[in-house]
Amino acid sequence: MLYELNEIKRYYNERCALSIGYLTIEQGKIYGLVGPNGSGKTTLLRILAFLDMPDAGSIYYNGSLVLPQLMPALRREVTMLLQNTRLLTRKVKDNVAFGLKMRHMDSNTIKHRVKEALEMVGLSVKDFANRQWYELSGGEAQRVALAARLALRPKVLLLDEPTANVDTVSETLINEAVVRAKEEWKTTIIMVSHDLSWLYNTADEVISLWGGRVVSHGPENVILGPWERVGDGLYCKALKDGQRIYVSGTPSSSNAVTVSPGDITLLSSVVNGYGESAYNLLRGLVTQMVYSNDGLLRVSVALGELNLVSLVDKDYIKKLDIYPGMEVYASFKPSAAKWL
Amino acid sequence: MDYIFEGIREAFVLLMSGDEEVYSAVYATLKASSLAILIALLIGFPLGFFLGYADFPGKRFIRSVVDTLLALPTVLVGLWVYAFISSRGPLGNLNLLFTLKGVIVGEVVLALPIIMALSAQAVEELDLSVRDTLLTLGATGKRLVLDILWEARYGILMAAVTAYGRIISEVGSASMLGGNIKWRTRTITTAMAFETNKGQFAMGIALGLILLLIAFLVNGTLAFAKRRRQTR
Repeated sequence: MLYELNEIKRYYNERCALSIGYLTIEQGKIYGLVGPNGSGKTTLLRILAFLDMPDAGSIYYNGSLVLPQLMPALRREVTMLLQNTRLLTRKVKDNVAFGLKMRHMDSNTIKHRVKEALEMVGLSVKDFANRQWYELSGGEAQRVALAARLALRPKVLLLDEPTANVDTVSETLINEAVVRAKEEWKTTIIMVSHDLSWLYNTADEVISLWGGRVVSHGPENVILGPWERVGDGLYCKALKDGQRIYVSGTPSSSNAVTVSPGDITLLSSVVNGYGESAYNLLRGLVTQMVYSNDGLLRVSVALGELNLVSLVDKDYIKKLDIYPGMEVYASFKPSAAKWL
Repeated sequence: MDYIFEGIREAFVLLMSGDEEVYSAVYATLKASSLAILIALLIGFPLGFFLGYADFPGKRFIRSVVDTLLALPTVLVGLWVYAFISSRGPLGNLNLLFTLKGVIVGEVVLALPIIMALSAQAVEELDLSVRDTLLTLGATGKRLVLDILWEARYGILMAAVTAYGRIISEVGSASMLGGNIKWRTRTITTAMAFETNKGQFAMGIALGLILLLIAFLVNGTLAFAKRRRQTR
């Protein structure tokens, strides 16, 4: 086990930004972190990068308890590409070589690593090594920033939205370089990305965060209130298009429920019996179909302002002949919803 | 209008002929302002860095005091320094009044808040993102601080140049503390004020042209620093 997090809490101005009961990260895997804004993704990354210590709880790295005085040494193995990362105000080659110099590597190794890292992100040494930081496009600058981390051949590479503001060419090159780092050096990758399709395709595990808590290892549907009580232990949310979602249980302070994608069934047409009683039967459009590592398909269905993800067997998809843009019905039991 | 054109013509003659009086004022100005900026940087920059980098109780109050001092009137500085270095003042025994050293003291006091405030701002702007970037690449301890300083270099250059622009063009404290003594404490600005009062436009214009040239160089450096800072 590379990381083991126990009862971690992190506060910003007395607001709990992160609260994780137990989480483990294994070596050599790619992890995706997903969740809405403010769900604690960056906070978690910064703790894993040893940039911040949690306010409560304990972290074990490689079996040893992480203490504040050990963090500088641990940052030699773990590196992070920040969301608002910036290049140092010096040449491209000096940017890439910076971390290597901090590790007191000899000049030949530095030269070799700089070349290797720049090539990994699709930048030729001849054309880019001597450029100044201000002579690069946004995508090129981001690739140089990634190269500076790849040159370290880190044990753990944490990436916070590395492709958020770059062109499609840079996006592809960055994604490819990340996978190569895992394959060549067994680097553990922990990544936040808006590109869910790529993330679900590539990541060995996807961790969903919501309100600073780990909701699940895998994609999860989070449905926010307001909820109206319509019966004994039954609550309803009206969507803008008039459809209604029913959930059961006792509401929590978060006013939100989560529904596992595996609990959502897709139907190509209404079948008698469904929706007549306590079943949710929601009409929507298929917006995305992505193969995941586990051989299942993740199908996104847009229901007005809400988007639900269903995990479906590929044979079932073939049987129903579902395709993007098609109108389908998403169905789940009210009891499948869990209050957060 | 003729006397103005005649003044400009005579000014060029004075400059080309290497008039000793003109160049004495230029020398005194450059000597005083260069030493003053050096001393102000040595004192003001570490204080500004600390103000921008560290968190301590009362930081906001000190920041607002320093920011207020940016608009310090030069005659007020002249008055206070005069009170300290005159024969009746606590530093009277140093005999600084009506010397170039006295002018330098006044200019240091003028430059200090500018250097402190702008250095603090330069470091503050960098602090979070650059510090995190350096940390993620493995920088620690002294090396971390030095690299933050290096990344703030254009901001610091801006602070130095802005302060230099202020002290080289000020006339109030230089005339009060230096006394505008010919060949000794007469600077470009005090000489210009004095010669213009006498109706000697040629000398004033000649010195004005040199001041303009210095201002041009200062502004050029400032523009360069600003550009580099923005392209970060």
